Amino acid sequence: MKNNNTIIIGAGRLGGTIARSMNKISNIVVVDRNKEKIGRLGDFSGFVEVGDATDRALLEKNGIRTANRVIAVTDDDNTNIFLADLCTNIYHVPQVYCRLKDSRKRALVDERVKCICPFDLSLQDFESAREKEVDE
Amino acid sequence: MKIVIADGFHEADYIISLFNTKLNDLVVINEDEDVCRYLSSSNDIPVMKGKCTRASDLREAGAENCDIFVALSEDDYKNYVACKTAKMLLGAKRCIAMVINPKNVQIFKELGIDMAVSATYLLGEQVRNLTTVENMVNSLSLEDDKVFIAEIRVAEDLDVVGKSLREINISDLGSIASITREGKTLIPNGHTVIESKDKVLIVTTVENKDKVVSVFSRKK
Repeated sequence: MKNNNTIIIGAGRLGGTIARSMNKISNIVVVDRNKEKIGRLGDFSGFVEVGDATDRALLEKNGIRTANRVIAVTDDDNTNIFLADLCTNIYHVPQVYCRLKDSRKRALVDERVKCICPFDLSLQDFESAREKEVDE
Repeated sequence: MKIVIADGFHEADYIISLFNTKLNDLVVINEDEDVCRYLSSSNDIPVMKGKCTRASDLREAGAENCDIFVALSEDDYKNYVACKTAKMLLGAKRCIAMVINPKNVQIFKELGIDMAVSATYLLGEQVRNLTTVENMVNSLSLEDDKVFIAEIRVAEDLDVVGKSLREINISDLGSIASITREGKTLIPNGHTVIESKDKVLIVTTVENKDKVVSVFSRKK
């Protein structure tokens, strides 16, 4: 049985902001190997874990088997892809998000995984701004 | 055989030196310019500077449809993604990833990488085998740990000394592939008698390994 738990891997700006904004709607655990980044989470009141999220024992200790959602937002695309595969195929987490700085790597990610690509989002923003320019 | 060697320094150098023959078509790609220069001059082959996790770089290097793709960087997850790229986008037949963390050997296999190799993992297996049988000289696991090959030196106080293979009868558990005696190799049959100091090469399954090993470690 899956519960309403979310594991956020990577406590950078994106991970930290998502943790704070989702805190009211889900039980959150934030994992990062960098103690300073965990310390910068500010007014986040959920659980935190300093450690390597590619270690299955650490993920299992933090409830990966029953988690409903994993958000892989470390600063390394390759680690995020590995985590997304691990969480989708081995732990069958229903909702998996994966941040990719290089959006071309989307082709490697399982279609069940939701990719967050800053490049694509910037391009979309640009396109919609440009459309408005035409309308004006 | 078309073999792609992605990243790595001494590891890449060694693998290139093993397979750099007319029989193989080697494609070498490395992210570090100095390493590219070194590998190229020491092996006298072209080495392309590029990212092994980027499909376009691999294509430019000529890595498409290779028989074996080997990822040798010091970053396990870079190797994982490089292997996935080669397999999913470039038609690689088999992929091998070097891993630093021995725990990744099993996980990578479960996630579809054909083979993950960790020096620490292999060392651990060797130590475990050595602690199982004091007379074991060498052992090797093949076919994703389904086949086990062991070389056992026969001590004079073992129960099997002086017995024929028919008497020892391990045919249900495995087979004795060869016996090295005084520097010569014999292919044994049922009448062959085991002598002390023989080196016996045994092929068995992983499930039967302990039973076979116990036959060859029982004292008289």
